[in-house]
Amino acid sequence: MASQRLGEAALSESGPSHHHHHIPYSLPHMLHHPNTSFIRNQEGSAFDFGELEEAIVLQGVKINNDETKQPLYTTVRPAATLEMFPSWPMRFQQHTPRGSSKSGEESTDSGSAVNTLSTTRLEPDSPISRKTSSDHRLPPPQMDTGSGVDSPRTGGSQTQPAAKQAPEKTLRRLAQNREAARKSRLRKKAYVQQLESSRIRLTQLEQDLQRARSQGLFLGGGGVAGGNISSGGAIFDMEYARWLEDDHRHMSELRTALQAHLSDGDLRVIVDGYIAHYDEIFRLKGVAAKSDVFHLITGMWTTPAERCFLWMGGFRPSDLIKMLITQLDPLTEQQVMGIYGLQQSSQQAEEALSQGLEQLQQSLIDTIANGSINDSMHHMAVALGKLSNLEGFVRQADNLRQQTLHQLRRILTVRQAARCFLVIGEYYGRLRALSSLWASRPRETLIVDDSSCQTTTTDLQMVQSSQNQFSNF
Amino acid sequence: MHNYYETGWWSSSYNYPAKRSVGTDPFERIERMASASAVVMFSMSTCCMCHALKRLFCGMGVNPTVYEVDEDPRGNELERALKRLSGGTSAVPLVFIGGKLVGAMDSVMASHISGTLVPLLKEAGALWL
Repeated sequence: MASQRLGEAALSESGPSHHHHHIPYSLPHMLHHPNTSFIRNQEGSAFDFGELEEAIVLQGVKINNDETKQPLYTTVRPAATLEMFPSWPMRFQQHTPRGSSKSGEESTDSGSAVNTLSTTRLEPDSPISRKTSSDHRLPPPQMDTGSGVDSPRTGGSQTQPAAKQAPEKTLRRLAQNREAARKSRLRKKAYVQQLESSRIRLTQLEQDLQRARSQGLFLGGGGVAGGNISSGGAIFDMEYARWLEDDHRHMSELRTALQAHLSDGDLRVIVDGYIAHYDEIFRLKGVAAKSDVFHLITGMWTTPAERCFLWMGGFRPSDLIKMLITQLDPLTEQQVMGIYGLQQSSQQAEEALSQGLEQLQQSLIDTIANGSINDSMHHMAVALGKLSNLEGFVRQADNLRQQTLHQLRRILTVRQAARCFLVIGEYYGRLRALSSLWASRPRETLIVDDSSCQTTTTDLQMVQSSQNQFSNF
Repeated sequence: MHNYYETGWWSSSYNYPAKRSVGTDPFERIERMASASAVVMFSMSTCCMCHALKRLFCGMGVNPTVYEVDEDPRGNELERALKRLSGGTSAVPLVFIGGKLVGAMDSVMASHISGTLVPLLKEAGALWL
């Protein structure tokens, strides 16, 4: 297919010189299959007489051609360059071979091939097709109205043979603008579709989660966790989801407690409750580490942004302290000493654990690399033994996190601790939100599709320029 | 690894009379070894968590006396005894400071985070300002 197109592009080089660099697509194909055109529907936009006029004007630029039905396609050439999405959203309506041997050739192709060809129907074609077939929106463009479409064209070419040079640049620009606008509309449509499907998936996930939680089981398959998670990992994911909801509740409690200026005693209860809440997740992680340490250590239970900063299956305590230092003012001098001491000791502990893990990895690499064929089972057994040490490191890392939070509690007053834990909760909440936003951000290449992305380099340049115009979308 | 701290008793000066080491209860041996230095760690050469603990001490500027239990001729019984002492699933690493049991990795780290480890080390003479 691609070679065909390139060949056709080469062929079309023989066209009007100022247009040749614009033409990527199947001119000869169009010539052969005049019936397969005009199918594209431009949704949402009103019929543009300007396009029709341009098409008629550009007709004058057509090259001489033996084919009887070619006029349609020659006029199309300038705008052909702008056709960047060869495979249209399925507005394409199959045309039935109507007995023309040439269209018959085409229709024996795969549906997508026909699709792409039809999508090389270019700008100026559509208004014409719409004009002629707007009432019925049918494949009639193929055979029956082919002749019908021809006539205005031929008429047009006869009326304006000479009026080509002056408005051509303007016309080209107009065509480019239209093309870019159309692409923008398509992108928007695809984005909206993506949002819709994401929304549906989200509600499905929520339903699955509800169901799974009420049953206390992992449902597997297309449920909460998707296909590749072990049951231990999936169970932990569910528990973690529930923990996040509890976290949300604790945070609201903290917030209202701080604003309500509760007594220290009451506040202490709430703060200690929050610490117990964290103790709970560390306990759950310990259980999960026994069944699926890889799930924890690779961070598959967290959001992508959190995973980016992952250290040994969770947050890095010294990073947390670093973040908190600026947020915890005012502190007494003793408290400042305490916080900096905590930062230093957590850094030392992290460094030690990291080096221990590194040695484990190196030892594992050596074991795996040195396994001989005869000895492979033994080496595998040794490797398995070494792998089991991973759990210990994740446990120690979680222990470090837990101790860090407890020490914070000890250093700070009740009120300070309440604010501190609120800051921590909000920080991770924002990190999680960042992940969601990142995942749902609009992308420029939304509509790039599977089989039909075969563009020449000139087309890519055109795409980039038009995309830059609309990159704010 | 062995450049950073002293190695086990059997490879250094042989000032222990032979009959003392023979037939001695492993707990007694452990106690004796633990009292011999300010900071004593029971380890195994293949244990990565022990390596992590060694790095922690080195990072703090502490020079612990390390006994590699797997290199001891009677290492197995030592290991069993250590496991009992640690009260957990792993015999090593196990740390004594000033002759007193501090615990395994999690205890040492908890002690460090809570700020009690450094005073303990200073008290035992393993750390100076």
